[in-house]
Amino acid sequence: MTAALALEQATRTFRNGSGIFDVDLELTSGQIVALVGLNGAGKSTLMRVLLGMLRPQSGRALLNGDDLDSAPMSAWARVGHLVEYPLAYGELTARRNLELSARLRGVADVTAAIDRVITEFALEQYADRRARALSLGNRQRVGVAAALQHDPSTIVLDEPTNALDPAGVIRLRESLLRRAADGAAILVSSHHLDEVARIADRIVVMNAGRLIGNLAPDTPEIEHAFFEVVRAHDEKRDEERGEKVGS
Amino acid sequence: MMAGLRAAIWAEAVKLAGSTVGRVGSAAIVIGISVISASMLLAAATTTDPQLLAKLGPVAAGDWRGFLLGAVQITGAGGLGGFAVILAWMFGREFGDGTIAGLFALSVRRTTIALAKLIVYLAWATAMSLLLAIVLALVGTLAGLGPIGTGTLEALARQAALGVMSVAITLPVAWAATLARSVLGGVSVAIALVVVAQVSVLAGLGGWMPLAAPALWAISLGTTVSPLQLSLLIPFGAIFVVLITQSWRRMQLDR
Repeated sequence: MTAALALEQATRTFRNGSGIFDVDLELTSGQIVALVGLNGAGKSTLMRVLLGMLRPQSGRALLNGDDLDSAPMSAWARVGHLVEYPLAYGELTARRNLELSARLRGVADVTAAIDRVITEFALEQYADRRARALSLGNRQRVGVAAALQHDPSTIVLDEPTNALDPAGVIRLRESLLRRAADGAAILVSSHHLDEVARIADRIVVMNAGRLIGNLAPDTPEIEHAFFEVVRAHDEKRDEERGEKVGS
Repeated sequence: MMAGLRAAIWAEAVKLAGSTVGRVGSAAIVIGISVISASMLLAAATTTDPQLLAKLGPVAAGDWRGFLLGAVQITGAGGLGGFAVILAWMFGREFGDGTIAGLFALSVRRTTIALAKLIVYLAWATAMSLLLAIVLALVGTLAGLGPIGTGTLEALARQAALGVMSVAITLPVAWAATLARSVLGGVSVAIALVVVAQVSVLAGLGGWMPLAAPALWAISLGTTVSPLQLSLLIPFGAIFVVLITQSWRRMQLDR
């Protein structure tokens, strides 16, 4: 089966030397992949390359098997994403912002889609408030709702639980589980390991721009296991650097 | 493509109409220019100070011709600046507010979104220019300048046309806001445009300088700038439309 979104040996670096290196990742239908890593590990960069916000310097980023540049635009209508800031314009109400996102994704019945997602994320009492007047958490809810309202078959969310209250976190979790069960391919980044362990089929660990291993979601003391993987990778890098300096 | 463009035009129109910047900018251009023009007229009618009358220039005559010449002079600099600030905001705010990331990975191309911004800007600027001409006609009539004859109608048409032509001149602002990833980057270029336009008039570059041609044309009652010189605005604008849409197409979120 062709992956919905995929990276093949993708490398994208910045002038300061940070970036992502030789990343291989596939998002497939019905699976939730959690991307975990410390701040600065490269999670957001990976997601940006995956969504075409950054072009890889080597390797490929693919949507349904096509390079992002040559993928048909219509294929993007089935993708939902929230990377960094929610697409919520301060001067517009929550409902208007949702309408804007829906229209830009070519949703056929905009009103029905908005009504559904407002109920799903309990946004009724905030729907007619301007986004500027919403709390950070509620604004995030609007952003998540905007990313999911068109029932995408591929979902990429960067730290979606940021600023969400516990009720919002539960609603998001249920929404993602239901969407995965309906066949969506999902990538979620987080630094809350317990949170992602509850919903992920696969947990991918990222460190210093590289995918360094997987954790089984049912790993006992998962945080401890995570730090072990990261520490082992850091030590290996230190050794390699030492060898380079020594040689 | 067409459905995407329609959706993007709707989105841009809703954003501009809903924003404080859009409302204040619209009011500042229409009411601001009308009030300044009216105040000059009032000053001309009430003062006997020869120095002040000299400063008021054509407006001192206290007729339609002088009143509308004053208005095009203000529009040539102030209107241009006002339009440019709105354009800088339309493009630069996506970066400042972080909404630019949400404009990737959509079924609407970013070039289409940039084009929609320009179309909405053109429509807004045209509406403001027409409205300003209508308000000026009302102000002049209320001030007792007499009936609107053919010459006055032509001057009002030039006033509106000056506004619409300013759209082409301001396009570098959208490109600058895109490259600088900020409203301020666009505003800086807006200020530079106004200065360059004024200086090139003083330096006698005249009608061959696209930045100055529309204002010179309107101020000279359409005499000193030829249609060919005015038509240079079309390639000037087209070059910047291409530069803007290409920058949006090739854009990466690498900063």
